[in-house]
Amino acid sequence: MKAVCWMGKSKIETLDVPDPVLLNPHDAIIKITRTAICGSDLHLYDGFIPTMEQGDILGHEFMGIVEETGKGVTNLQRGDRVVVPFTIACGKCLFCQKQLWSCCDNTNPNAHIVEALYGYSGSGLFGYSHMMGGYAGGQAQYVRVPFANVGPLKIESDLPDEKVLFLSDIFPTGYMAAENADIEEGDTVAVWGCGPVGQFAIASAFMLGAARVIAIDRLPERLAMARGIGAITVDYSDEDVSVLTAVKDLTGGIGPDKCIDAVGLEAHSADLQGLYDKLKTALMLETDRPTVLRQAILAVRKGGTLSIPGVYGGFLDKVPFGAAFGKGIIMKMGQTHMHKYMKPLLEKIEQGKLDPSSIISHRITLEQAPEMYKVWRDKKDHVTKIVIDPWATAA
Amino acid sequence: MADAIKDTLTTAEPLSERSAGVVLDGRYMAPPQDKGGKTWVRAGALIQATPNELYALWRNIEFAPMWQEMVTDVISTGPKTSHWVMNVNGKSIEWDSEILADEPGRRIAWRSTGGDSQNAGEVVFDRAPGGRGTLVTVLQEFGQGKMATAAQTVVSRNPKQAVIENLRHFKAFAETGEIPRTEGQPHGPRGASGSLKASLYGEKVGVPPGDTGNAR
Repeated sequence: MKAVCWMGKSKIETLDVPDPVLLNPHDAIIKITRTAICGSDLHLYDGFIPTMEQGDILGHEFMGIVEETGKGVTNLQRGDRVVVPFTIACGKCLFCQKQLWSCCDNTNPNAHIVEALYGYSGSGLFGYSHMMGGYAGGQAQYVRVPFANVGPLKIESDLPDEKVLFLSDIFPTGYMAAENADIEEGDTVAVWGCGPVGQFAIASAFMLGAARVIAIDRLPERLAMARGIGAITVDYSDEDVSVLTAVKDLTGGIGPDKCIDAVGLEAHSADLQGLYDKLKTALMLETDRPTVLRQAILAVRKGGTLSIPGVYGGFLDKVPFGAAFGKGIIMKMGQTHMHKYMKPLLEKIEQGKLDPSSIISHRITLEQAPEMYKVWRDKKDHVTKIVIDPWATAA
Repeated sequence: MADAIKDTLTTAEPLSERSAGVVLDGRYMAPPQDKGGKTWVRAGALIQATPNELYALWRNIEFAPMWQEMVTDVISTGPKTSHWVMNVNGKSIEWDSEILADEPGRRIAWRSTGGDSQNAGEVVFDRAPGGRGTLVTVLQEFGQGKMATAAQTVVSRNPKQAVIENLRHFKAFAETGEIPRTEGQPHGPRGASGSLKASLYGEKVGVPPGDTGNAR
């Protein structure tokens, strides 16, 4: 089959590789019908996430048709159409039973690496480094899905793939970000980053009762999209704009009730602070560039909540923890507990409350993926979301 | 590695009563420290099954190759004795073992009685506080020094990590009926760097089979 492989930092190739096979009784093989490139794939592309191996198949947002199932999979049959969550969960451990699906104890074969770094390991992830399990990803024509008895969501309606594909990660991730922000009726919510997760977080914040959403980004097409769903936008690249002043101005000086950092470890910043982080990460004195995190901690109102769906990987410098304590804020974060959100969010799509496909800007083939990673990273060509048809050939 | 183990043999003695316990008279007990040519490892896991079920799975020693790394054969030679065979990087390591304490649903203690490996161990099954499953604690001792351990870390798996990984496999198997694995999945060319990383991350140590026989 064809698959998009990580061949080194900033080096992606579409290659012919063997087809996947069943390895464990709860595995399924899925013929992929649609897959996507995620913002978090850029952290791999840019070499920010350690423990990638040359030859790794990328991709954690995918859906398709069940091709084959292991003996332990009784809920799926060949021919079923499914969306697969990017986190792999066993369904049996204490964490799965507590609905903390992304904290599953049993799905990361390389848990010892994460234990060394974080103390304990969360669940395995598709196509997202060997510390996260080293599972082959879904930017390919076929994929092996472990614990297929637990994860995949069957799509029984005739909704097109593009409307349900994002149940694999970014819609639940944006929704959990809003839920983690503890939004109350009438709240003002500020969202940093208007990429796909940010857009879903904005839409979800309104669904959960936000009266005003402030959306912060620098790319005109993203800001326009955010205004399109009702947010007030702040363009931080405008040299007259200070984000901290802007959020104060928009809240009568008290700050947003709730803040969402939908950017994570590769924040862009043109000022001295940005240069500082760039130098430190280049010298390997710091692993992440936490510009947004710093800003959001300072921006949120006293006693407010900061929700962090943006990915952080390692050690952060100059995080104003004193401000977090001084204002008595709450912080919630982590990988999305996918299995908890997929079904209820599918219902919202079926009810027509939201059309996730509206964020798609590019539809490509597997062969085009390597060049599109670069376009996506450099935010060229008005890109907002790239979807791959793994069976299409270039026109 | 087999030679490294043979070179550093000392005698395995029985572990003292309840030595795998983490709490004694309300006090936390730290794990024993390595000294005198002996290496110790204590590992714990919270498993969603009853002490009886987990005891039965562990006590079925002929089934151990299904969840213990590199163990290829275990043959019962008597009610309390057995012969163990491990394959480490193509070299065979064999030893005899006897069970010293066997309390159904509570604990098992054992030691080697001769052969290529000197080890003694104990596993304790305790109900977790709040009814949240079973706390399984393993304490194992190896008669070998730190140099051997370091050498094994480079060539394959040091015995301390093997105990930790085996308990992880035991838990996954007990809770889900399988052991997670990626060996055998597709990938592009690994090159020298990818292959070296796979080795460093312990991915070249074969994951025990669990229930792979029922994959198809």
